[in-house]
Amino acid sequence: MTELQSASDKLDNKVEDKLVLEDKDGVICNNAANEYLMGIRGDLKQAERLVSDAVNNLVCNFRYISKLTGSHHEMVLAIERMAPPEGRHPISGLLEKQMVIANRIEQELDAVITSLQFGDLVAQLLEHTARQVEILSDELRRIDRQGGSQGRDRKRYFKSMPSEINKAVNGVKNMGKKKPVVQQGMKMGDIELF
Amino acid sequence: MAKTILAVDDSASIRQMVAFTLKGAGYEVIEAVDGQDAFDKANHHQVNLILTDINMPRMDGLKLLELLRKLAQYKNIPILILTTESGNEMKAKGRAAGATGWLVKPFDPKRLLEVIGKVIS
Repeated sequence: MTELQSASDKLDNKVEDKLVLEDKDGVICNNAANEYLMGIRGDLKQAERLVSDAVNNLVCNFRYISKLTGSHHEMVLAIERMAPPEGRHPISGLLEKQMVIANRIEQELDAVITSLQFGDLVAQLLEHTARQVEILSDELRRIDRQGGSQGRDRKRYFKSMPSEINKAVNGVKNMGKKKPVVQQGMKMGDIELF
Repeated sequence: MAKTILAVDDSASIRQMVAFTLKGAGYEVIEAVDGQDAFDKANHHQVNLILTDINMPRMDGLKLLELLRKLAQYKNIPILILTTESGNEMKAKGRAAGATGWLVKPFDPKRLLEVIGKVIS
């Protein structure tokens, strides 16, 4: 806040012209800040698309592998039924080993189900961050519009600008505290029955 | 006869993981993409348990819970919340709205089935 205030005080008309543009309608646009925020939003959207694409592919792979595992399991059981019942036939040992493998694959698939939920957690966090960027961008535009509506009283506008920006930043900071995802890892979440 | 579970989540991957887990255990699963979709489906099907997310577009899980508890056929049906939210304030809201339990994502398939088996009976 203090830094912003002192920076504002130091602004002379020359610097103002560099930082701020006044369009034909008299609306002052802080182009640099908004372009920067738009860039961040674009990056967040790209990250969201990449994660979503990766998760979709992984889910397809998962379904295919689990289907194959199911078939493998059924095949082992079918061979077991066909094997001669008397004594210890050599095939019995092989089938036992196959069953152990099938069971271990199933356990691993369960672990994959837990891990694959990362897509939902990441998507919610990205959305939450994108919303904050959007709100900050809207607030900056609003501050610009206010400046524009004050006509030629630009000095007053520049004086109030730091506190307005500070208010906007604090509002977004408060919103940022209410994170929809607090998990720091993909460990199973708590369960509570009421 | 297999019991029917309504799984509600706006994330397609979570719905698929839930459906995969539940179908593997012999349940029938109806999927819904948000609270509104779930409410419509709950009115057209008789379900034995509802597993719902909280943060969803159109209608969130808490609103869905409130609306369902007002219907006679869903007064005593278990409704479990499956969400990333783990704050006590949110849990208290869920409890007040009539949730049967609160499960924080990510879920473990075996533990999910244990909890469902416990409350559905």
